[in-house]
Amino acid sequence: MNRIEERMKALSEKSEKAFITYVTAGLPDYDKTAELVHIQEKAGVDVIELGVAFSDPIADGPVIQDASYRALLAGADIEKTFDLVKRVRGEGAELPVILMLYTNTIYHYGIKEFLSRASEVGVDGLIVPDMPFEEQAEIRKALGEGGYDIILIQLVSPVSKARVPGILEDARGFVYCVSAMGVTGQAGEYHKNIADYLASVKSVSKIPVMMGFGITSPSDVAPFIGSIDGCIVGTHFIKLLEEEGYAAAAAEKYCSDFKKGLVKLS
Amino acid sequence: MNDKAYYGRFGGQYVSESLMNVLAGIDEEFDKAITDSEFNKRLDMLLKDYVGRETPLYFASRLSEKYGTKIYLKREDLCHTGAHKINNVLGQILLAERMGKTKVIAETGAGQHGVAAATGAALLGMECRVYMGEEDVKRQAPNVLRMEMLGAKVVPVHSGSNTLKDATNEAIRVWAKDAEDTFYIIGSAIGPYPYPKMVKYFQSVISKESKRQFFEREKRLPDVVIACVGGGSNSIGMFADFIPDKGVELIGVEAAGKGIDTMEHAASIERGEVGVLHGTRSLLLQDGFGQIQLAHSISAGLDYPGVGPEHAYLYESGRAKYVGITDDEAMEGLRELTRLEGIIPAIESAHAVAYAMKKAKEMTADQSMIICLSGRGDKDLATITDYFAGRGYLN
Repeated sequence: MNRIEERMKALSEKSEKAFITYVTAGLPDYDKTAELVHIQEKAGVDVIELGVAFSDPIADGPVIQDASYRALLAGADIEKTFDLVKRVRGEGAELPVILMLYTNTIYHYGIKEFLSRASEVGVDGLIVPDMPFEEQAEIRKALGEGGYDIILIQLVSPVSKARVPGILEDARGFVYCVSAMGVTGQAGEYHKNIADYLASVKSVSKIPVMMGFGITSPSDVAPFIGSIDGCIVGTHFIKLLEEEGYAAAAAEKYCSDFKKGLVKLS
Repeated sequence: MNDKAYYGRFGGQYVSESLMNVLAGIDEEFDKAITDSEFNKRLDMLLKDYVGRETPLYFASRLSEKYGTKIYLKREDLCHTGAHKINNVLGQILLAERMGKTKVIAETGAGQHGVAAATGAALLGMECRVYMGEEDVKRQAPNVLRMEMLGAKVVPVHSGSNTLKDATNEAIRVWAKDAEDTFYIIGSAIGPYPYPKMVKYFQSVISKESKRQFFEREKRLPDVVIACVGGGSNSIGMFADFIPDKGVELIGVEAAGKGIDTMEHAASIERGEVGVLHGTRSLLLQDGFGQIQLAHSISAGLDYPGVGPEHAYLYESGRAKYVGITDDEAMEGLRELTRLEGIIPAIESAHAVAYAMKKAKEMTADQSMIICLSGRGDKDLATITDYFAGRGYLN
């Protein structure tokens, strides 16, 4: 069984909400990213998303754009990110790892070559914000033919409406519910119909529903807790890491407190 | 996969999920609009009385004489606002109004599309924001002033390389957030479907007129049609009606900057690889890891690392040929046209003129070509003056 599905099943058995984080791989360097993966696993993070820096991140707000830009300047690239995943697996990391990246990184690498390498190093899922459902035929075909145990995570938005059932039909792992229109970040600017939207996705989804974009603390998701199975924190976590100079203790405390807060809400 | 979104293996809709219904809505409304006689009447009226169409197809007699073949110029430089960009802006902004949108956004590099968008917004009383890289805001200051005079808000973009590529990223981000009341007017033949289709449709007036005007004069089709290619809006419009006429040679001229074998050019077709940028799959300048590279050209309007998906397809299918012209060659073409015909072209269009001068050498006196003179050179006077004074230029 895929690690994401395994974790989702275990959480569901405990009736516990999932806590998912995002960090840009290679920022400030790969040793630090490796350390952060282990710290977060220890602190109770359920799934980690590693952001793969791209020159033109159209789905990201200023904080992740900037993180991406600086990671590139520091020498981040997809090959080193694959090596990082292999390394943390070798060091014992068991938590599910998802790469969040843009279409061009996959196409440029070659779809089959990319999936083969991702699978070999221990990647469990992919989130590709600029590859909507209609453009997924090629990668789905390659995933099927190669028999890789990698899940392509589906995203839905507040305006997806009639598209949701089709997108979710054979979705696996979890569904990523974008809480605001536009880009990552934008704390406190949820879509005006957020509650109805989350509830409607929850009502048709056979897999766990995760809320993401603009979340800073468990209290942000408390009003919607009945409609979601967990949440994703990216921008705020990167900001915090920057402010704390990537101090391990600060990262551990934030993740641990957040997860405990979510467990209380569960 | 939505087959109609593709030109061969190029095109598509590589955008956030939150834009997919928006794109579907635009596509549906566009199809309705172009078969609606009221919409067409209004657009035709504006193109005639406001833009000044049809634009002349001018027989350049001195240029023809010197280069030994018949050279015609399609005078898009005579359009209101100084370039072909207004053709597409009016089409898209009428569509925006029809869809009940009250605000428009646009990206711009050289500022010509931004000026056209600001003009269209003033004409229809809409709110307009134009995203422009911080570097371009500096090097195209007169166009920034024009846009502001027209009532648009020019938003400098400070991310990545601070040029057109980054301005387009930012416009897409803002659009994804504000699409409920905001229409994004894309100026080039790029972006997610249906944008390349719409831009081609609204710009195809260039080739429709040219074909008829040329036939009236010569009672035949031209042998060669030449246009410059950045993202490819004037060229796709100049090619459109000639694509089925297999005997007409179509030539797109890319900016070869300081030379196609240097790192400083904008030859996305000749030197690009397949990739995805700004919502479409096409040929792009990329590094070994698929990061998009910066383009270079003396002409801000050709300074783009990608190209419209239909051009990539026309190239791959062999229907059109794409060539490069360097900064120096373009400036020589600019001087030649200015001195022989008294027309100062935009540096973008000068690339097409420069290639025409080369191409003419293999043509005979009774053959003929049409060059799309996509814009006028007023906006470039500072660059032109500095270049010929040997002071280099800001880029």
